Amino acid sequence: MFEFLEFAFMRKAIAAVIILSLGMAPVGCFLVLRRLSLAGEAMSHAAIPGIALAYAVAGLSVLSMTLGGLIAGLSVALASTLLSRLTLLREDASMATLYLLALAGGIFLLSVRGTAVNLESFLFGNVLSLSDGTLVLIGSSTTLTLLVIALILRPLVLQSVDPAFAQSQSQRGWLTRSLFMVLVVLNLIAGFRALGTLMAVGLMIVPATAARYWVNALTPMILLAFAFSAGSGLLGLLLSFWLDNVPSGPAIILVAGLVFFVSLAIGQNGLNLIRRFRAPD
Amino acid sequence: MLGRARPAYSFLRVLYGEGLVIGYGGDPVASKVDFSLSSGEILAVIGYNGSGKSTLVKSILGVTPLLGGRLRWDAGRPTTPVGYLGQLTDFDRRFPMRVIDLAATGGWSQLGFFEGAGRRARRNAEAALERVGLADAADMPLHQLSAGQLQRALFARTIMQDAQLIILDEPFAAVDQSTEADLMALILDWSRQGCALILVMHNLSAVLEHCSSVLLMGRGGAAFGPTHEVLIPEQLVGLGYMAADKPYLNATAASTSAAKVGKYV
Repeated sequence: MFEFLEFAFMRKAIAAVIILSLGMAPVGCFLVLRRLSLAGEAMSHAAIPGIALAYAVAGLSVLSMTLGGLIAGLSVALASTLLSRLTLLREDASMATLYLLALAGGIFLLSVRGTAVNLESFLFGNVLSLSDGTLVLIGSSTTLTLLVIALILRPLVLQSVDPAFAQSQSQRGWLTRSLFMVLVVLNLIAGFRALGTLMAVGLMIVPATAARYWVNALTPMILLAFAFSAGSGLLGLLLSFWLDNVPSGPAIILVAGLVFFVSLAIGQNGLNLIRRFRAPD
Repeated sequence: MLGRARPAYSFLRVLYGEGLVIGYGGDPVASKVDFSLSSGEILAVIGYNGSGKSTLVKSILGVTPLLGGRLRWDAGRPTTPVGYLGQLTDFDRRFPMRVIDLAATGGWSQLGFFEGAGRRARRNAEAALERVGLADAADMPLHQLSAGQLQRALFARTIMQDAQLIILDEPFAAVDQSTEADLMALILDWSRQGCALILVMHNLSAVLEHCSSVLLMGRGGAAFGPTHEVLIPEQLVGLGYMAADKPYLNATAASTSAAKVGKYV
């Protein structure tokens, strides 16, 4: 039953998804609550050219690829905010345009550069072959995330509930917003090696969305999102270990998707099916 | 009104503005705005839609920079944030929060950086909810509140702010009569305790009844002064608040002051 624990790669993978979930749960909850779910998706694609460029310049180094991804992701976020201020277009339109360009550029770079890095493992990740460097990155990212969230929690909450009130309380709202965006990109990049660029954002958004169906306060939502996220990670890993030809990244997100649908069906803020059938009126 | 207890200290001027020019991004919305505000006083800000009332509020809060003129705080800018209840255009009622949590956010600015909100903060928040008549709804999530209940909860948040200057931007826009009456009583309490209040609103009869001075914002300038000198048809029509062909006051409450103004109409 527990023979999977005998393999170092499985122990690493389990540690990775649980630690990743610790940081992704609060970030994902605020991403969902601030109506930025799709912006998170866009940011994850936007980071690709930075990572590709760093790879082309410095090779397979975790640090330089992280920095490259951070810079590219944040540039797209900043540029789309600027464009929406300076021109008529709304932020989502300019962000979509910029991230699509970034994605195309990134894949272009990766392909031209050659075959040294497997494009497929890049897009879909491989949590079952994590290097120690990646584990350190995930650990650092989560530590930093929890620290920064603790520091900006109150302004972040005020901004999300009542932006006008938050503005009246502090003139440093831009700092809170920027730090939060840094955390989003940082967690995405930490998740890339494990889950791939296309799946990393899933472990942020899906558990947080599912958690909202059950609870009406922030702390329980974040705790529940963590439980869903770590649980899906664990179960998804086991599925891909036990069954042949099941890729780990998609398995993890699909389990999270199952949690989402169950929450949607019976959560008190979802369709609430059980109560409806018990007390028809 | 009778026997209203005055604050023990005399009325101290808190804030005044001279020749203010306000607007966004360099485009003035209103200019030549003068006013002054003392502790225990309720200043009503009225004006047609788009006359710059909310922009003025944001300039006083320091959110929108002034384009000209001077804003002076007699005792220095308050060290604690100004009490503020704005319009709810961007308010997210789906945020996972209970009523008591929302009220408690008003006290956050008094907490130290690493200080948790302890039992005392919780008791204060409960007392604030009691005061606005929401004690029974403390654990309700925000998305289940009616517009009136939400406004009461936001007044509880304002109580928690414990501020010396309180700015309320159209606080009665979406609430029923009994809620408005309850909340107006709370505003009068604040004034009696020595708070300086700025109240942006459209209900002229309430302004006549409760506010000591009025800032009327309008085309080409603004008028400021004691309520009965500003709320006269000449000013209201002249500054674009009322059409010249139908200058009537919507004075539903039969207050004597409203009747007095009615004579001029």
